[in-house]
Amino acid sequence: MLSAQERVHIAQVWDLIAGHEAPFGAELLLRLFTAYPSTKTYFRHLGDSPDQARLLSHGRRLLEAVGVAVQHVDNLRAALSPLADLHAHVLCVDPTNFPLLIQCFQVVLASHLQGEFTVEMQAAWDKFLMGVAVVLTEKYR
Amino acid sequence: MVHFTAEEKAVITGLWGKVNVEETGGEAVGRLLVVYPWTQRFFDSFGNMSSPSAIMGNPKVKAHGKKVLTSFGDAVKNMDNLKGTFAKLSELHCDKLHVDPENFRLLGNMIVIILASHFGREFTPEVQAAWQKLVAGVATALAHKYH
Repeated sequence: MLSAQERVHIAQVWDLIAGHEAPFGAELLLRLFTAYPSTKTYFRHLGDSPDQARLLSHGRRLLEAVGVAVQHVDNLRAALSPLADLHAHVLCVDPTNFPLLIQCFQVVLASHLQGEFTVEMQAAWDKFLMGVAVVLTEKYR
Repeated sequence: MVHFTAEEKAVITGLWGKVNVEETGGEAVGRLLVVYPWTQRFFDSFGNMSSPSAIMGNPKVKAHGKKVLTSFGDAVKNMDNLKGTFAKLSELHCDKLHVDPENFRLLGNMIVIILASHFGREFTPEVQAAWQKLVAGVATALAHKYH
């Protein structure tokens, strides 16, 4: 249900992120863990105070998954099905955590793009990422 | 009762000193109304909100933003007593304005995003964390007198 304009904004912003998935993801995770320490309970395999190497590695995986979502904006359910299974049966991340990750995602975008981070981009990405979160938690029960 | 460390207080007041309250407030309320259009329900009298540019340029939106963020200044000065500081405003938002407290959380997050866009690299994870704590504290304080 993304409009044509919203898709343009999704693609525009993704073009800026592509190629930088690891540092973007590392900063995203660092912000998540710093602002919302309870989220670390889902990342115990990264250690108590994850080092840059681990943040980069896991951050890249996270952002690559976002990249998959961007390429399949019209068919998130099919494209993210394996990840939805993972979140439902293995990770069991409480759904209330996704908005926290999305907030940090917006903060990374805002702090890097600054004046270029238009309200239209923010609105499109908020809608898009919430859609991804819904798909990832859809198989929970 | 939310407790702020000396470092968190320093980080918050340090940034606040550089904030353009009028501009930041207007942007935060404007973006709230665009990104979460259902929040427009509280602002029927504001006039033209037919597009993102109409909303962001709307003088009533800007004026309201300035009012809201000026009030935030009270939070920065009274971090140890947010509930007391916002008691009257909490009653107002419940009894007269009938605003769902979820909106305070949305606006708080929006303020954080605007600060990130203005301060760029300076808005480090630690700075963000302190501000997220403050906006959450204000949202809770504003909801405190609801009945």
